[in-house]
Amino acid sequence: MTGAYRFSCCFIAVIGLCLTAEPSAAEQPLTPDDVQKLANRIDDLIAEKWKENDVVSTSPSDDAEFLRRVWLDVAGKIPTAADSQDFFDDQSSDKRRRVVDELLNGPNYVVNSANFWRAVLIPEADTDFNVQFMLPGFESWLRQRLDEDKAYDDLVREILTMPVSGTNAFRNRNTLNPIAFYESKEIKPENLAAATSRMFLGIRIECAQCHDHPFDTWKQNDFWGYAAFFAAMQREPQRGSNGFLSQLKELFSQRTLTVPGTDEVVKATYLTGESPEIPAGTSARMTLADWMTSKDNPYFARTAANRVWGHFFGIGIVHPVDDFSELNPPSHPKLLDVLASELVKHDFDMKFLVRAITASRTYQLTSSVRSADDVTDPRLFSRMSVKGLTAEQLYASIGQAVGTHETFEESQRGRFQGGTTRARFIEEFSDSNSEPTERQTSVLQALSMMNGRLINDATGLQSSRTLAGILDYPGFDNSRRIETLFLATLNRRPRPDELERFVAYVDSSTAEEPPGKRQPGEKQRFEKRDKALSDVFWTLLNSSEFSLNH
Amino acid sequence: MSAAFKAESLIGRNSVSRRDWMRMAAAGVAGSSMSGWLEELAADTVAHKSRRRSVILLWMSGGPTQIDTFDVKPDHVNGGPLKPISTSVPGMQICETLPKLSRMMEHIVPIRSMSTKEGDHSRGTYHLRTGYLPQGPVHYPTLGSLLSNELGVENSRLPNFVSISPFRRFNPAAYGPGFLGPRSSPLIVGDGGRVVFPDENATYEQSLQVRNLDQADDVTLSQADRRLAMLNDFDSGFRRSHPGTPTASHASAYSQAVRMMRSHAVKAFDLDEEEDTLREAYGKNQFGQGCLLARRLVERGVPFVEVSLNGVQGNQNFGWDTHSNNFEAVKTLTSVLDPAWATLLNDLNLRGLLDSTLVVWMGEFGRTPRINGSSGRDHWAESWTTVLSGGGVQGGQFFGETTPDGMKVKDRPVSAADLLATICHAVGVDPMGQNMSNVGRPIRIADPEAKPIMEILA
Repeated sequence: MTGAYRFSCCFIAVIGLCLTAEPSAAEQPLTPDDVQKLANRIDDLIAEKWKENDVVSTSPSDDAEFLRRVWLDVAGKIPTAADSQDFFDDQSSDKRRRVVDELLNGPNYVVNSANFWRAVLIPEADTDFNVQFMLPGFESWLRQRLDEDKAYDDLVREILTMPVSGTNAFRNRNTLNPIAFYESKEIKPENLAAATSRMFLGIRIECAQCHDHPFDTWKQNDFWGYAAFFAAMQREPQRGSNGFLSQLKELFSQRTLTVPGTDEVVKATYLTGESPEIPAGTSARMTLADWMTSKDNPYFARTAANRVWGHFFGIGIVHPVDDFSELNPPSHPKLLDVLASELVKHDFDMKFLVRAITASRTYQLTSSVRSADDVTDPRLFSRMSVKGLTAEQLYASIGQAVGTHETFEESQRGRFQGGTTRARFIEEFSDSNSEPTERQTSVLQALSMMNGRLINDATGLQSSRTLAGILDYPGFDNSRRIETLFLATLNRRPRPDELERFVAYVDSSTAEEPPGKRQPGEKQRFEKRDKALSDVFWTLLNSSEFSLNH
Repeated sequence: MSAAFKAESLIGRNSVSRRDWMRMAAAGVAGSSMSGWLEELAADTVAHKSRRRSVILLWMSGGPTQIDTFDVKPDHVNGGPLKPISTSVPGMQICETLPKLSRMMEHIVPIRSMSTKEGDHSRGTYHLRTGYLPQGPVHYPTLGSLLSNELGVENSRLPNFVSISPFRRFNPAAYGPGFLGPRSSPLIVGDGGRVVFPDENATYEQSLQVRNLDQADDVTLSQADRRLAMLNDFDSGFRRSHPGTPTASHASAYSQAVRMMRSHAVKAFDLDEEEDTLREAYGKNQFGQGCLLARRLVERGVPFVEVSLNGVQGNQNFGWDTHSNNFEAVKTLTSVLDPAWATLLNDLNLRGLLDSTLVVWMGEFGRTPRINGSSGRDHWAESWTTVLSGGGVQGGQFFGETTPDGMKVKDRPVSAADLLATICHAVGVDPMGQNMSNVGRPIRIADPEAKPIMEILA
């Protein structure tokens, strides 16, 4: 009882704080370099904490490390050897900023961020066959909106207000709309309430579904009041079908919900405790969307900003990224305020946040340390964390490294995942643990990388395009060949000791036999050399440096 | 402020990954020498001093009927046409579909008072296999991951959790390690393994092999060894300079994979080593040979093996979903189940492994006592049966009872969480042990409200 009261006060206090701490959006004119200004602000606020904790950051990353990281984070795959070479050769001082701009304008950004938001919005698809089946229309819709540069608040609004009457996600699985969001939550008010509050507000209210929240201050009635916004949707009854193929409808007259197992009828109520007037003849979800995506709703912008931060650093300022609660305070409250208010000021343009975060010195710190003893608390952001790749990122990166090219249409659009090499790979490498700094490799995945067909074809003398290219390239000696393999996989040049060892390995394969034995002919020598280079390529593709984002 | 911040983060949310990393580091994967992996193999030092307990889960995909197996109802119309038979334990009767098992009743405890909450395949599968309801953002691990995580040995030659021909399509999450992560995921063999695209043409023998265990055809063994040595050498630098869970886990997975590739322990998968008469006794089909493989794995110290019986003829998916022609279907299914399970218990017993191996039989729910218009039985979670057999339990008794029509549990209803907690106790695991979850709070192995059935424990 007192708990709920305390929370309401706290919630309002947070709103108040937010509104007074940062001047509101319209008053400040935008300057041309807002990006750099925010990047500096990030660095200042992060460095303050280092000082308090007596921590020294790692050094700045070099060009190779930065380029690989920013490609993986923004474009979802590693750069090609040529991209790396061009970037190293570029002498201009703003090249790091420019490469981010170029990536944000390219198709890979659209694919990567669609994968990212799909995983956030419909995590069910990773494990549920039926939900997977409904994805094509949803994914195409999402890519289209991202390609159009739709602002984040508009995107969420479109999801929340989508007219559902007359739709069916199974039958019309290629229609471009977000209906799969509703179907994946089984159009149940409780599932939609839990999902939307967690995804868009960072509030995990779902525990209050069955009982008052054990750790937090949510009461069961708060949950069901919020769920009532979704109470009007149902499936059209259909004879002779077990239901999932029938159409959805929404009864605008249905404005309340009966708490299951009780007689209690609740009205649609915001998490702030207020029950709005819902205009007759409209969906309650329209009213909810107004409140949810409002610039004055501090949780909405903060959750979005925190999620983006979490994507780039592997760890949120509030962590886990969708768990805002009194018991889980942000590591850098001020920074979170700043990021959220800047996002609001820039009309929820996510690309603006991406530009500022990637321009910060904090993002550009090296992930390399002398030893494990030098690892500081990752929540201080004094070193870039090592992140695991998603299955999609790893597959696309292998494609970049080995020179295969899968067209956008073939791999993504409207195609049911079945039987393709990509679908099998994604299935084998998917990890339902979405924390990038906690991702793990399984034994089956290791076996597949070492002995499976994908990597074997990629490094085989008959089938590998990258290998064929470097073997035939005129004027290349073994060190240039090895250098190129490094650029294609690790996006850096080998260090002298590495180069020396790999060259020695390849050279020794063609060394002369001891006197008395038959000397190999020229053709056999080439074969042996090529085989040794394929071993080098295999080694690089199987290395942790290749498989991780660092 | 600063000290508090530090302390909180050291013992707080990151403690599990830190602990894991330390464990992996201690296991020698974080900074091994030039040819570390292969040297380790030559030394061949890992020995199982004291045998730990193991679990074999026989999973009946689709939901097995209770009345036509262990909860006979001869005096009621719901009992159907199949007859009860007496067993090796006086006073205990089971269905005629299980003649071989009926002779081994002293090792078997049917729990006839299962009463669970999900009658849908997908949700029921998740519920029974994790002990929790599918709800919210927590990714609960499957019981194989949970128990192998407790019973398993770090650095073992064989994986701690092997899943044989699982049919995962109903709910792949119910077959995965959830928040325990890929380190606790099963090694899957059998062509039911693929969610997306099972290979329907593989024979059962091919399908019981581990995929990708051998180097590719055009790579020689010595070349593969050179590659592995070079990889371990090259990677050691990155492992030192880039510590963290993803790096440690990559190293650990590779070293386990190499150990399997090069260890003779992998001979466990070579069923040709067994006498043909024994192979016949298990049944020359995927499930029968899967049970034989399970025994071979348990014998070599693998703490959790599951074997799925998905069907007998045609599509192998959810054969126990007998909405029509239940009685014919059950006869066919039990003609595979009965010899395989009975031979497994006998074989384990002869090798002195039965006391330390718990064999569990269950599906996602039972089937309606009432027989429908197509001579079938539909989904039923209200009153149904699971079975514990072998080590850790006192066989030769029923636990719980249903009403004469089978529609209600008479007394002692057993929930999915109760069952999981009982399995834990039977193999010496504390069901109230905790793991850090993906939502940043600890979750107990079994739901805290679970009441284990202490009366049937040995």
